[in-house]
Amino acid sequence: MVEMIKVSRNYGTDIKALTDISLTIDTGEMFFLIGRSGAGKTTLLKLICNMETPSNGLIEVAGYNINNLKGKKLAHLRQKIGVAYQDFKLLNNRTVAENIAIAMEVSYKKPLAIRQTVRDLLLQLQLTDKHNTITEELSRGEQQRVALARAVANSPRLILVDEPTGNLDANTTERVMNLLSRRNKAGATIVIATHDPSIYQKGNHRVMELRDGTIHSLTRSKAS
Amino acid sequence: MNFWLAVFRQAGRNLRQTWMSQLMTFLTVSLSVLIFAFFYLVYTNTIGASDKLSEEIRLIVYLNEEPGPEMQQQLIRKINNFDDTEEIRFVSKQEAYDRFAAQLGDDSDVLDGMPKDFLPASIEVVPLQTLRGFSEIKLFSEYLAKLPGSEKVQYGQEWMERFYYFTQLLTIVVLLSASLLILTATFMVSYTIRLTIMGRQDELELLKLVGATNSYIRTPFLLEGILQGLMGSLIGLSALYALFRWITLHFTDPGLLNMFHFNFLQPVIIAAIILTSIGLCTLGSFTSIQKFLKV
Repeated sequence: MVEMIKVSRNYGTDIKALTDISLTIDTGEMFFLIGRSGAGKTTLLKLICNMETPSNGLIEVAGYNINNLKGKKLAHLRQKIGVAYQDFKLLNNRTVAENIAIAMEVSYKKPLAIRQTVRDLLLQLQLTDKHNTITEELSRGEQQRVALARAVANSPRLILVDEPTGNLDANTTERVMNLLSRRNKAGATIVIATHDPSIYQKGNHRVMELRDGTIHSLTRSKAS
Repeated sequence: MNFWLAVFRQAGRNLRQTWMSQLMTFLTVSLSVLIFAFFYLVYTNTIGASDKLSEEIRLIVYLNEEPGPEMQQQLIRKINNFDDTEEIRFVSKQEAYDRFAAQLGDDSDVLDGMPKDFLPASIEVVPLQTLRGFSEIKLFSEYLAKLPGSEKVQYGQEWMERFYYFTQLLTIVVLLSASLLILTATFMVSYTIRLTIMGRQDELELLKLVGATNSYIRTPFLLEGILQGLMGSLIGLSALYALFRWITLHFTDPGLLNMFHFNFLQPVIIAAIILTSIGLCTLGSFTSIQKFLKV
């Protein structure tokens, strides 16, 4: 699903966010990115979803060189990639339901199907009572879940999640991970950047640790 | 949801979120259309009145002596040398006296004791319909003034000159108001769309990230331009029609306005104004999209 060959990302001449990253993430895999703050996890996710372009190297997603795609082709590929950003990127003057629906609206899903999906996701993430709440009025934990709901709403083939449990309690963390596991079992490839060992130590997944923009280790977690 | 439904929803959201600036633009476009259409209406009606009045135009050449039949034929040939005419009629001194006496009616006795030949003989020339412009009539009158035996030429020169300059002035005003319409429609809409784009950068950025196509993002802004043009011109023209009805209702008594047929704009002109307004507003919207909406 994701192929990265000798990918580097520099900011200016001094800051090297990522250096020579080569990586393959298989279709249907749940892949974890770990590392300290500033290690390059978020930059890596941004490169995969073409929010940023690499300084060097090749990135292929679903067989497409994502940096060469433009216009409709890029838009259609992005519809198949769901991203839950670390800063959420929610529309603060819109309701929770509208924020989640936006990902489906751009794919021209039917209004009835959109409403149904929104209700299901809110139920799974314990946000049913927030359906018509303006996102600005939500707590950070709630906003995080709305961002996740939007990322998975359009049934994307690739889901990128940046720190999904940073603001959540144990119970909600479990709900979030259950949701992602279900999507993964349904065939979606999932890449999660996290600090939280409790979520990647539970399954049998590959875990890549980044340090100072380079791959420090690539191991497989053991189910406990 | 199909493309157009999604786009209309998006346009509706845009309008709701920026309703204040949208309203200001809409009012400005309406006012510009009203000003332009008002002056154009006055212009077309003035031209109509001018055409009607020009049908009445006749030039009277006063002669210093009554021409004989041979001389009359020579004068007719001379006049037709300048241009063909609708009619050339010789009025003798006696005929002029009789007309004057008839015009005086009951007061014709004031002419008692006056010689019957005290009024000069004249030629009444009715030019062709094709020769009705002020400058052409002026040239024709100068030509007639040089005819042998001609003393003076009269054709309501002063009145015609004023009317001519009035229509010239109106043409300038119409052109200026058209420029105003072009500037306001294009720039105001462009500015409003620019504000909307600036105010919604976060949302537009997000739309791109979740896979919205260029047309999904851009079309609602174009629709806004079209809507501004359509609504602005409809309201502007409706206001003008209301004004027109008010004027015709209050000034239909016998008077100056009743001399002319005061007509509203032709349907084809109304359609042209609406289409032009839509075109200009869309252009304004398009330029802002091209400049500020990089997708």
